[in-house]
Amino acid sequence: MTPVFSVENLQVHLAKQSEPLLGPLSLQCAQSECLGLVGESGSGKSLTALSLLGLLPPGLQSSGHLQFFGEDIVFNSPRHLALLGHAIAWMPQDASAALHPLRTVGDQLCESIKVLQKIPAGEAKKAALHLFAQLELPEPEQLQHRYPHQLSGGQRQRVLLAIALAGKPKILIADEPTSALDPRLAREALELLDSLRRKLQLAILLISHDLPLLGAYAQRVTVLQHGKVVETGSVEQIFRDARHPYTRELLAAEHLSAPAAHVIGASILQVDQLSIRYPRAKTNAVDQAQFDLKRGECLVVLGESGSGKSSLGRACLRLIKHGVHGSVKLDGEDILQASRQRLRLLRRRMGVVFQDPAASLNPRRKIVDIIGEPLCIQTNMNAVQRRTRASELLRQVGMDDSALDRYRHQFSGGQQQRIAIARALAMSPDILLCDEAVSALDAHHRSEIVSLLGDIVQKRGLALVFITHDLACAKALADQVLVMDKGRILEQGSATNIWQHAQHPVTRALIAARPHAAS
Amino acid sequence: MPYFRSFPTSVRVCLVFLAVLSLACVLGPWLIRFDPHRPDWDFLSTAPSFLSGHWFGTDAIGRDILARTLAGGRLSLTIGVLSSILALALGVSIGAIAGYAGGWTERVIVRLLDVMSALPFLLIVILLLSLFGRSMFLLLAAIGAYVWIDLARVMRSEAARLREAPFVLASIAAGARFDQVLRWHLLPNLMPIAWVYLGLILPQAILVESFLGFLGLSVDEPSASWGSLLYEGAQEMDSAPWSLIFPAFFLVATLASFQFLGDSLRDWLDVRKEDSR
Repeated sequence: MTPVFSVENLQVHLAKQSEPLLGPLSLQCAQSECLGLVGESGSGKSLTALSLLGLLPPGLQSSGHLQFFGEDIVFNSPRHLALLGHAIAWMPQDASAALHPLRTVGDQLCESIKVLQKIPAGEAKKAALHLFAQLELPEPEQLQHRYPHQLSGGQRQRVLLAIALAGKPKILIADEPTSALDPRLAREALELLDSLRRKLQLAILLISHDLPLLGAYAQRVTVLQHGKVVETGSVEQIFRDARHPYTRELLAAEHLSAPAAHVIGASILQVDQLSIRYPRAKTNAVDQAQFDLKRGECLVVLGESGSGKSSLGRACLRLIKHGVHGSVKLDGEDILQASRQRLRLLRRRMGVVFQDPAASLNPRRKIVDIIGEPLCIQTNMNAVQRRTRASELLRQVGMDDSALDRYRHQFSGGQQQRIAIARALAMSPDILLCDEAVSALDAHHRSEIVSLLGDIVQKRGLALVFITHDLACAKALADQVLVMDKGRILEQGSATNIWQHAQHPVTRALIAARPHAAS
Repeated sequence: MPYFRSFPTSVRVCLVFLAVLSLACVLGPWLIRFDPHRPDWDFLSTAPSFLSGHWFGTDAIGRDILARTLAGGRLSLTIGVLSSILALALGVSIGAIAGYAGGWTERVIVRLLDVMSALPFLLIVILLLSLFGRSMFLLLAAIGAYVWIDLARVMRSEAARLREAPFVLASIAAGARFDQVLRWHLLPNLMPIAWVYLGLILPQAILVESFLGFLGLSVDEPSASWGSLLYEGAQEMDSAPWSLIFPAFFLVATLASFQFLGDSLRDWLDVRKEDSR
């Protein structure tokens, strides 16, 4: 079968620089085929997409041999740009940024249809409704009059897809279509894309950083690293025997090791009847939460965004000022009622790691000061002692002294998160709370951090509260699981029990959300 | 000076102008042989000339315009700089407290700021100065109080953003007191923005001082500020236009330079913000 589009020797240059930012790279995609393009952030995935579309930012030049439908095309020529929308369409990454906030979604789709299909407004409106229905958007008649902010994330993504399909293209370039979505919505979106591929015989270039996810929907996969192709082949072949170590690393993210047996000790944290209601909110952000955490144990709080899991974590640390009811007892002493002086002492025993590693380190302080901060607050150590302790902590999280006098922007996301963990461990806490601590990281950093946390729990016998929406990480750590949805605890119990006999449909959906290549 | 070279030419011109001007104002009494207050009876209302030694000419009672312009600049710049520093201290501290504390503290302070910016502030300054007489301290306080409001607003919103930043939360979770959060996290992240704002506040303060000077509310005769020189110059506009033109030129050039530097600084800051996103 002749490819619908192919590109050979694609290179992207920054003007006046000899070293290419991307390439050389060759891709081809046949009719109704889904080609996956995978790599970490900065590997050149989006550059590839933009150069195929002729939409590179000024200053960048692409070269290579480009063909659409067997026809040679010169990059950025009028012919190339004329194909946009009609033959080749783009679905950008961030649906909330890509839609015009002040116009209804129906309006935005109609406009694209009118321009691309050159039909009168009345017909365009009909076509728009048809397209909305085809994309399984509920009640298209009402939906077309809504504004982007009135739609859910999944619906916005579908509207964006509808706009991409307005010109009846044969090729769709989808740039990280699911990275902003929850696992369940992501699966739905990809399944829809898959059925459209069959129905409309679309050739899809699906860009993602998540190789296991791509594996379930693509036929062939090309792996990029630092702008170079590392490996390319059919999905079966890549999953069966990946040749390149980097590909194996990306795959390994899925196969996090099973939890090591934790030595579980006495109960240390008891949360009872904990409810949170934010000012002016109509419902409780967390409703009657209750759990009991033991030394050496890892509790995973699993839930989608907005389920109240982060609020629960913050309330346990008394980081929420108003609207918290119930009790959080650390060794029998209620954190929520403690006086200011007592609270200061109690805080020694709790460490916290947040989601965004860059935002959790002050950009204007040196690493040694950042890690030394809890020591400065809680002890009388002098600068030399703090420095010694900081370098000791850095070694424990797998880094070395050279980091001490640098600033956070000189480190990668994974290293920044290690520094944040070092800070959390500075006072040797009894409890470590990780709020989505790995979800902002690339696949292989994620597995490294998860195994580091597993080690820490095992070696130090501290209790870990791990808040996440990512099932793979949850499975790698959990002794105890707590599943949350809309502020309520749906299920809780031992990990094996939940994984195998989940009762609640939402739990089952969460557990099933992650597609496996094998299936 | 590797930094200086990387600036655009226009910024370099402004910087050099301001540097030379401030130096001249400070060193004026040693550079020029004329006393700004002593009349030169031989040259009343003389046009600028190299022969007489009065390069910028003299006013109706024979005082050297160049000497008076530099003396006026010294006063205007001093009042401008001091009141800007006052405004900076006030704006940063009040803004940071409002933004970080949140809740009713924040609401009260924001309302107060709204009320203050709704008042015809210059009118009140004029009233105060005419009631309590013209003292340097009152003048400083009045101008400082006039220009700090915008800065306080910016600082408040920035501090409110920092309050939610994970690194501040982590610090609180480790048990940090307010003064520690302020010292380690708020001030280091607020000050760069405040310095840029200083570039915008300074010309405003100088302008307000000149305005008050023009109304005769700034300093007493025979001392001069640019504002009072403009007033005197305006009186003799027909007979001795140079006594208006020279002080006016220096005032306008100074204001324009500061404004320009402030704008460039702000653009530079915006770029940095986008980079970090």
